[in-house]
Order: sequence, then C-alpha cells, then structure tokens
Amino acid sequence: MAGSQSASQATLETEPMATYKEVSVSGFEEFDQAVKEHQGKTIFAYFSGSKDAEGKSWCPDCVEGQSGLGLSDSPVQKRTHDFNILILTGAEPVVREGLKHVTEDCVFIYCQVGDRSYWKDPNNDFRQKLKLTAVPTLLKYGTPQKLVESECLQANLLEMIFTED
Amino acid sequence: MSSPPGRRARVSSPGTSRQGSDAREEVRRRLKDLIDANRVMIFSKSYCPHSTRVKELFSSLGVDYNILELDQVEDGANVQEVLKEISNQKTVPNIFVNKVHVGGCDRTFQAHHNGLLQKLLQEDLAHDFDLIIIGGGSGGLSCAKEAANLGKKVMVLDFVVPSPQGSSWGLGGTCVNVGCIPKKLMHQAALLGQALQDSRRFGWEYNQQVKHNWEVMTEAIQNHISSLNWGYRLTLREKGVTYVNAYGEFVELHKIKATNKKGQETFYTASKFVIATGERPRYLGIQGDKEYCITSDDLFSLPYCPGRTLVIGSSYVGLECAGFLAGLGLDVTVMVRSVLLRGFDQEMAEKVGSYMEQQGVKFQRKFTPVLVQQMEKGSPGVLKVVAKSTEGPETVEGTYNTVLLAIGRDSCTRKIGLEKIGVKINEKNGKIPVNDVEQTNVPHVYAIGDILEGKPELTPVAIQAGKLLARRLFGASLEKVYHTLFWPLEWTVAGRDNNTCYAKIICNKFDNERVVGFHLLGPNAGEITQGFAAAMKCGLTKQLLNDTIGIHPTCGEVFTTLEITKSSGLEITQKGC
Repeated sequence: MAGSQSASQATLETEPMATYKEVSVSGFEEFDQAVKEHQGKTIFAYFSGSKDAEGKSWCPDCVEGQSGLGLSDSPVQKRTHDFNILILTGAEPVVREGLKHVTEDCVFIYCQVGDRSYWKDPNNDFRQKLKLTAVPTLLKYGTPQKLVESECLQANLLEMIFTED
Repeated sequence: MSSPPGRRARVSSPGTSRQGSDAREEVRRRLKDLIDANRVMIFSKSYCPHSTRVKELFSSLGVDYNILELDQVEDGANVQEVLKEISNQKTVPNIFVNKVHVGGCDRTFQAHHNGLLQKLLQEDLAHDFDLIIIGGGSGGLSCAKEAANLGKKVMVLDFVVPSPQGSSWGLGGTCVNVGCIPKKLMHQAALLGQALQDSRRFGWEYNQQVKHNWEVMTEAIQNHISSLNWGYRLTLREKGVTYVNAYGEFVELHKIKATNKKGQETFYTASKFVIATGERPRYLGIQGDKEYCITSDDLFSLPYCPGRTLVIGSSYVGLECAGFLAGLGLDVTVMVRSVLLRGFDQEMAEKVGSYMEQQGVKFQRKFTPVLVQQMEKGSPGVLKVVAKSTEGPETVEGTYNTVLLAIGRDSCTRKIGLEKIGVKINEKNGKIPVNDVEQTNVPHVYAIGDILEGKPELTPVAIQAGKLLARRLFGASLEKVYHTLFWPLEWTVAGRDNNTCYAKIICNKFDNERVVGFHLLGPNAGEITQGFAAAMKCGLTKQLLNDTIGIHPTCGEVFTTLEITKSSGLEITQKGC
C-alpha cells in the first residue's frame, strides 16, 4: 500500500504497517468508559446510527452495503447504477479500508450512538459533550481532526487522518 | 526586471541597452530562462514571413508558445548575437522546444513532417508539479485552490520556523494563527468584559466577582485555530493539492529543497513557482530581546497570563494588543519612539491614543529601549527594561512581567535561495518587486502577499492624485472636511465621557464633493466602514450622503447628517437625538 514512490509522495514514510485494536460500544456511557480505559493511546472513534436486531441501521450512510431496490434519499451514498438495481454503500467499509493503512498503533472505537429519535434530540450527550453534528463522524479523539458525513467516503481524506503524525 | 506595460503575455523583453560583457551575460541568462521556462520558445521578427509560418504551425497544433520579437526590443541585435552563441544559428526564426534547439523555419517543418517535433513536444518538462507555492498563508492557499480548480497539479509548502520563544503553529499563515483571528477573539473577550461592567447599570444583578481567566480564553482560541488548520488541510486534500509541512528553498531554477522538522530533505521540481512566505516580527537588536521578550507570534498561545505588560511599538499591532490586554484588566504601558500609528491619519491616531489613555493604558512617549534584563524567572517572571529618551540624556527603568515587541515585521525572503536563481529583492527591506501580473524578474517565479514591494499606480486616478498633491503643497486647500463627535446609544452609562466617538469625511472640492476619505473612531468601526467603502467605490458624494435616509438609532447614521466643516471652526459636541 505504500506502493511506488514518485517524487510527489516522497514524504510518506515507508514504515511497517501498524496495528489497531477494535472496541465496540453502544451509547455515550460505554463510549466514555472505553476512552478512559485506553487513556494515553491514539484513539479513532467512528460514530454510527445504531443497528437493530436484524443488523440494519436507521442511518444508511453509516454502515455496510444495504443493497436493494429502491431509492434512498441520502445524498451521501455512493451509487452505481446497473439498470434497475441500486447498490448503496455507506461509509463504514470505506473507513475500515482506510484504517488498514494507519501508521501508528491505535485504538478504533466503533460506537453506535442510539436510535433515530435519540440522535435527533439536540440535547443528547454526543451532541452536547462531544460536539458531534452528524453521523457518520470519524474523529481522532482529543484533537480537532475529524471527518463528517461524505468526508468519510473519501479515501484521500481518510488517508490524511489515519497517517497523521 | 518587469515587462514594459503594454507588452503582455506573448512578448518578453530581456535586456537593457548597457554595453559590455556584463550586459551579454545578463542577456544570455535571460534567454536561457526563456528557453527553460517555456515549452515552445520562438525568437522571431514581427515582419518576417518565415516567423509567421512557424507561429501558424504551432497554433494549428494547438500548442502554446512564447515569442520574443527581436525587432521590437531595444537590443535586438545583441540578443541575436547571443542566440548565435547559444544555438549556432544566426537567423530568425529560432525555435526551441522543451529546451531543445530545433532550428529555423525549414528545420522546424522538417521535424514536424518526420515526427521529431511531436516527440519533442511530448517530452514535457517532466516536472513533478505545474506549480509549487512556498508559503501556506492567505496568499498561498488562495492561489493553490484557484490553480487546482483550473486543473493544475499543485504543491504547497508551509513551515513555521519556531519563534525565539519556541512558538509554532499549523497551516494557514499569520492571519489565522497569530494575526487577525486570535486578535479579534481576544478583542471580543475584552469587549465582553466591558459589557459585563456596563451590565450592572442596565439592571443586571449578580453576586459573583467577575474575573478573567487567561488560560481558559487561550485554550478556546487555540482550539478554534486548530479546527481552522484542519479545515485548510481538508480543503487542500479535497482539491488534490499536495501539502507538505516542510521548509522550502530554491536550489535550482526549477527545483526546490524541502526540509521537514526532522531535518529530512526532499527535492521537487515545478514549471512555475509562487513565493508567498509572508513576514515575521522584527526584534530590537538589544541585549535581552530574543531571550526575554515575546511578540505577536507568542502572545496568542501564551500558556500563562502576561500580567503587567510593556508593549514596545505603536503600530496597529502594538496598540491593538495593548488595547485588549488592558480590556482584560491587565496593567499595560506602551513605549512609543515617535508617533502613534505611523502612516495613518495622525488626527485619528492621536484620538486613538487619548481614548486608550482614558481607558487606563499608560504611554511612554519618545523613549526607546536599550536593554531587557530578567530579574526573576517565572510564568510570567519579572523583567527590567531600561529605556533612553529620544530627545535628551534621560533614561527610565521599569519592571514588568511581560515585554511584547511590536516594532515591525520583516519579509521572509532572505533564506529561501532566491539568490541562487537570480530573483531580485529590495536589499533594504527584503520585499520583492513585481510587475502588474505579480511576476518577479525571473519569468517563471511569481510573488504575492505581504512581501511585495509597493508599486506606483499608472492609472489616471494616480495621475490625478499627483496633480492634487502638487496643489496641496503649493496652492489652496482642495479638501472639505466634515466632522462630528457622536455618542453611541449603547454607551449611555453614567460617568462615561460622551465626547469620545468621532466621525470624519474628506471631500474633494474640485470633484463634486466626492468622498475620498472616511474615518471613524467608535465601537464596531469595522462593520460600519465596510458599506461606506463600497459606496465610495461607487462614487459617493456629500450630496448623496445627505440624500441618504439614516437608520435610527445607529452610529452609522451620523454620516448622513454631517454639517459642520473643520474650516468653519464651529462646535461639534453632540446633544441628544
């Protein structure tokens, strides 16, 4: 993945790939707890709308391909048109792909924020305490670095946040 | 060397008409620059039919070319001789493609027919980038975004050499990190403090003693700045601009060396360059200045409250900092060598000074510091400053927690290898002279922003200004100045001097009383001025102002009812509305 180095990419260091530890949490309390447990480490947090018992999220932009017929009114999803079939992909697979290229050991917290009505409440803990404005959001905890909504779909931006020094 | 006005785009003029080997050297260098910097370079004569055929050939191929018409430059004969030395060809047209000498008209057409020309055209200069910009501030970033929008391959190099006190910051340049943005935020913090004080008179009751916490303010400001730094990085990445956090300097005409903070060196090439390196605060050159003094580079991220502060310098940087520091409740003294706000309308400058004095800022006028000594270490410590009078032998000493230097800014043009590629700078102030298209004397190198040397305008307005200046010096006054004091409604608290705020316009008597100057001392001055600035560009006159209905109650409406001229000598203190 470091690939061939042309002059314009010469500053990317060819270091051995780093590892990440994944932690899955639901809700703000669990998130806060996970952060405390991993204090001192580099933490990336991905916030997604919660999945139901069947593994489907109310936020199609956030998750793995919920393919199917029919249109989504999400402006964020990538679409490929093949006659009548629409394959919709949210940000999660793109983020996970980007995560593989992280250049320092870190912790990846995958956080389901709650159901739709909880998320819509302007006073929920994520909005108040973490200043989140939308899902999906990927942030590097403790820094101003974050990617919001369609930014999470862009491989070049993901590369930037995951390979920061 | 700038292109003479009227000769744009396609025609360049390399030399002066000096004789001698110096002149030849310069011509040779200039020709080499033209050949290097242009994909297709044609040395031609405007009346020559062979030259015309060649130009038509390239046009038909859709290929851009640069021409030098030797019959239209002063030393065309000289140029033609030097061309012969370089290329062994004494005739024109003389064509170079990607630095390779193709020949005259016949040889060029031959090359076209046998495919050699195509081959030469395709071997692009093989530069890494179309454009490399050194400096990621206001100028550099806007240039980068625009170039990227136009489809060019762009790199931005930005690097902050830490200040003597160790301060550094992220992408965005002075304005975002250590200039306008944090200054305005600290100013706002001070205004809010003032508002709190006034609030009691408007009926707000609270028991808590109101204090200011410097660290809380600074952390909030730095967080905001960090999010701006990140935002710029996102924008550059989204537009496909390569950003490197490294110190850029020229090593060859088309090559720069980039050194990152770990000392690693990488090299990049580009067809064109933009220098946008901006400025850094100047130091005094006296004992103790770099070790103990801070500047605006350090103030906005200072991790402790500066305490009792001496500001040295009466530029707008110095006075603005003194203003908000005093507004936050600190003990502030400003040391002034000569006048306040040099270059500004001095009547306004003095009014600003008086207002600040009223607010408790102390001024030490006509002194200049000679040494700074540390009496106690600490955050902040205690510093002793010895200053000499500019008018006599008197010296004064003072002790302060912090000394803030604001005596000017120097262009960052002396250590970026400009001498290696022949870019001329003004040796005195480091600024770079450019022509009307921001081009330096080296054709593929441009410069923008604070480092530019001021240029005289050659438009009719400027000619008019010259005429008016002569009249002003030797003839009757051509200005009519209207002014008034005013009293902002928001300020109606007991004990406040209601004759502080001042408005003034300057009108040209010989041009329909067109408004040529606008001055305002009062709250929200910036917000108010913006609209009037646009109006002035539309040709605002005194009559138009009079015909404009004022919005009541505002401060700005005062400009629609100005009646008293300075020359009349009449009283201007305001009464009620």
